[in-house]
Amino acid sequence: MSEPSLGEFEELVLLFVAAHNQEAYGVLILECLEEKLQKKVNISAVHVALKRMENKGFVESNFGGITNERGGRRKKYYSITSLGKKVLDRQYELRTSIYNQIPKISFGQ
Amino acid sequence: MKPQPPKRALKFFRWFCREDYLEEIEGDLVELFEKRYEASPARARRGFVWSVIKYFRPGFVRSFFNIKNSNTAMLQHNIKISWRNLKRQPFFTVLNTFGLAIGMAGTLLISLFIYDELSFDKMYPGSDRIYRVNIENKIAGEVNKYAAVSSPLANVMRRDYPHLELVTRFRHTEGKLIRQVDAEVNVKEMHVVGVDSTFFDMFGFDLLIGNKATAFNEQNSIVLTRSAAEKHFDINKAVGQSMLMDNKDVYIVTGVIDDMPRNSLFRDHTVFLSLNSFADHDSPAWNNWNFPTFARLRPGASVAEFQEYLGTVKERYLIPWAMTFVPGLTIENSREESKRTGNYMIFDAIALEEVHLNSPNLSGEFSANGDIQNIYILALIGVFMVLLACVNFMNLSTARSLRRAKEVGIRKTLGSERVGLVRQFLTEATLISFMSLILGLGMAVLVMPYFNQLADKSLEIPLLSPLFWMVLILAMLLLGLFSGSYPAFLMSKFSAIKALRGGAIKTRDGNVRSILVIVQFSVSVFLIVSTMVVFQQLKFIQNKDLGYNKDQILVIEDVDATGDQVLTFKEEVKRLAEVSNVSLSSYLPTPSERNGTTFFPKGHVLQSDYAIIIGNWDVDFDYVSTLGLEMLVGRDFDSNLATDSSAVIFNEAAVAQLGVTPEEAVGMLVTDDFRDGSETEMDWKTIIGVVKNFHFETLRNGIDAMSLTIGTESKKMMVKLKSSDYSASINRIERAWREVAPGQPFDYYFMDDSFNETYKAEQRLSKIFVVFTVLSIFIACLGLFGLAAFNAEKRSKEIGIRKVLGASVSQITYRLSVDFLKLVALAVVLSIPLSWIAMNRWLQNFSYRIDIPEWVFVVAAVLAVIISLLTVSYQSIKAALSNPVKSLRSE
Repeated sequence: MSEPSLGEFEELVLLFVAAHNQEAYGVLILECLEEKLQKKVNISAVHVALKRMENKGFVESNFGGITNERGGRRKKYYSITSLGKKVLDRQYELRTSIYNQIPKISFGQ
Repeated sequence: MKPQPPKRALKFFRWFCREDYLEEIEGDLVELFEKRYEASPARARRGFVWSVIKYFRPGFVRSFFNIKNSNTAMLQHNIKISWRNLKRQPFFTVLNTFGLAIGMAGTLLISLFIYDELSFDKMYPGSDRIYRVNIENKIAGEVNKYAAVSSPLANVMRRDYPHLELVTRFRHTEGKLIRQVDAEVNVKEMHVVGVDSTFFDMFGFDLLIGNKATAFNEQNSIVLTRSAAEKHFDINKAVGQSMLMDNKDVYIVTGVIDDMPRNSLFRDHTVFLSLNSFADHDSPAWNNWNFPTFARLRPGASVAEFQEYLGTVKERYLIPWAMTFVPGLTIENSREESKRTGNYMIFDAIALEEVHLNSPNLSGEFSANGDIQNIYILALIGVFMVLLACVNFMNLSTARSLRRAKEVGIRKTLGSERVGLVRQFLTEATLISFMSLILGLGMAVLVMPYFNQLADKSLEIPLLSPLFWMVLILAMLLLGLFSGSYPAFLMSKFSAIKALRGGAIKTRDGNVRSILVIVQFSVSVFLIVSTMVVFQQLKFIQNKDLGYNKDQILVIEDVDATGDQVLTFKEEVKRLAEVSNVSLSSYLPTPSERNGTTFFPKGHVLQSDYAIIIGNWDVDFDYVSTLGLEMLVGRDFDSNLATDSSAVIFNEAAVAQLGVTPEEAVGMLVTDDFRDGSETEMDWKTIIGVVKNFHFETLRNGIDAMSLTIGTESKKMMVKLKSSDYSASINRIERAWREVAPGQPFDYYFMDDSFNETYKAEQRLSKIFVVFTVLSIFIACLGLFGLAAFNAEKRSKEIGIRKVLGASVSQITYRLSVDFLKLVALAVVLSIPLSWIAMNRWLQNFSYRIDIPEWVFVVAAVLAVIISLLTVSYQSIKAALSNPVKSLRSE
């Protein structure tokens, strides 16, 4: 059985979830993304990616406590699963191994 | 106070977002909004709305079928449970679905047929204001109606009666041979009619080619339908072509009209001639009834007034016209006479839309009419079929109700109300009805071509019409609710405690079930009897002694196309070894031309008491012998006697009108040449013989008075063949035809075929009867089969105990079958008188009819018993053969 695939945007979101494990939630991820990518991202795109990855089993989520912020609505914190980590590792390995195969290319005149 | 996100967007979001995501996403949205609000409130609002819109996508929108605590959830639950229940009882489900599907398919076909019949002649603009004028004439105790009237009537109406918008006249004429002037081969067109220039306005027709305003202005103008025109030339070149009619008259094509609508009284007509081409088109004679006349009333005009006006026409015009040549005739004495004799003649009008179904076939009709009675019969059969299928459903469902008692008990214990249970059972019924609809529609599509053949129609299932689907779905829902209502009512009544405690639940539905079975079999027996009676009547008609011999007679059409060669041709054919006799005449006992005249006996000329208006056929010397007519007294025409050209032969009915015995009639002098001069100058004919009555109209009618005289103009030739090798004989006759009439079509048919054609309507009816009878019985049997299966199952313990105690297989089979047989027997008893009454009424349509033989009822009864026995016995025997250990073990 082939493992579920991981899209580019999804990979970014997953990286942030891993980076802020247990602390990551929609708005936080959005802000990180906007900061790193230097472009506008819609919150819905983040949620789509999160929900998809949750279905694929790369992340899991649980509600935080009720606070005074956000009109009393609870945050949902995401954390990476072992499967998610494995996929991320493999993706990283694959990229570096291919990257290392690149011969020295000169872009000179 | 914190900033509030846009209310409407939030509300929308809460409405569509799935519940498990709602809190998280809403929270994130609000947080983001609050953060951005500080920078720019407007932008934050816009961003919020935009994000909400972006969430409106499949992954985030909730399933609207999953709304809890609402009717839809319950409905979904009901459908799911229903589906499981149906799957759990595949035998029962298939039986029900199949039966209902057959019923639906049959009813669908019947409905389409009826819808088509009802749509006749409704497509013309203002068709509800168009009326046709008829003549009703009573003479010698017999009432006759004619669909064609006198030629001057149209003009008189136009002049006298201001409430008419439009009047148009037709003139019937026989079939014609048509070719282009320079072409060689003739085409026979059977349905040709003369029309007024107002034809197009009256019926809203348009010409494809040509100018409708002038198309019928000139004499000898002809308009062809598209398909008739295409036989001769490209329709774009049609206008101005010269056509030769019957090899002598030249007509100029002035237009091409589209083929007539299939549900119009003109549907057969292909050739329209300008009315003024006919010599008698402006004849002042009121006694020549050749002109079908239609009038369109102005909106709001009273029909009763129009009828009243028509009632006055006779005294205002017809009698004054007759007074010009009948000495001594006055309006007063004609009134007096009609009072004394009871004879009358009146013009009246019938609505065009009524013509097709609500008027009998009159002489002068454009095309054969339908019969509203057949529509009623078919509608009844359609209703029967659906009813039978519904009854099946009720029977099987209630029968199985015991099995579901536990389900009902548990549901009630868990708090289900009765309404909920009823809904559950109704859903089940509707589900079955839905599956049947799909299956039935498929069946209908498949059998449509055969049905069209059977009914002589070209119907289609209007799969693209939204109205059709609406009606269909509505019918399906009604059917589901109707057939499910009784079982639902019954089953939801069970008491929870009793149902769960186990043991028998006493319901009285057994009685209802018995009644339903009785209804089903009553209908079946009724249909069996009806079918057999229709068949008997048809057989009776076909084998009835008609007074002439129609067998082995070949009729050749249009022999006048041979011109002056016709007698040569006759001799030629007569010489052939396999031909025993040949006769020329336009008048046959099977459908053909008809003509009538008025005779006065010598000494009573122009005394209306003595006038006899009877059929008058021009025949030749071999006519009587070729047809095998029997002379009662007197003799046949004799070609050796020169005087016989002014002789006449009467039939018995004509002699009866004269008021003398056949023996007295022979030798009497009569005349139909009474209009001018004195008795001495009139052309007198001697009655030389009286022929026995023979049936020249269909057996629905009696035998009219008629007379035979020697004539020379004939269009048809009858050839009596000896051998049975018809094709060889026909080949030889055709060879002779080619010599005398090259290029003319050789049209022939057998007289008995033409005779049978006359009863096509009855034959069609009988076939339709058979098909739907078989279907209905089949549906009834499906139900009975299911019921028997259930019964055997319910009594399996009883059977087991009986077997253990030593009952034989045959005893048990008997016990299981006899209950059903009792019901069937009761059904037979009920339906026999009903079918007897109904079929007697149907037979009243025929002048010559059978008495319903008793054996028909015996056969129907035996058939019903045998069919039900076969249906039941399979299940009974199966149950009786089963191992008692199996059924008793579980206790």
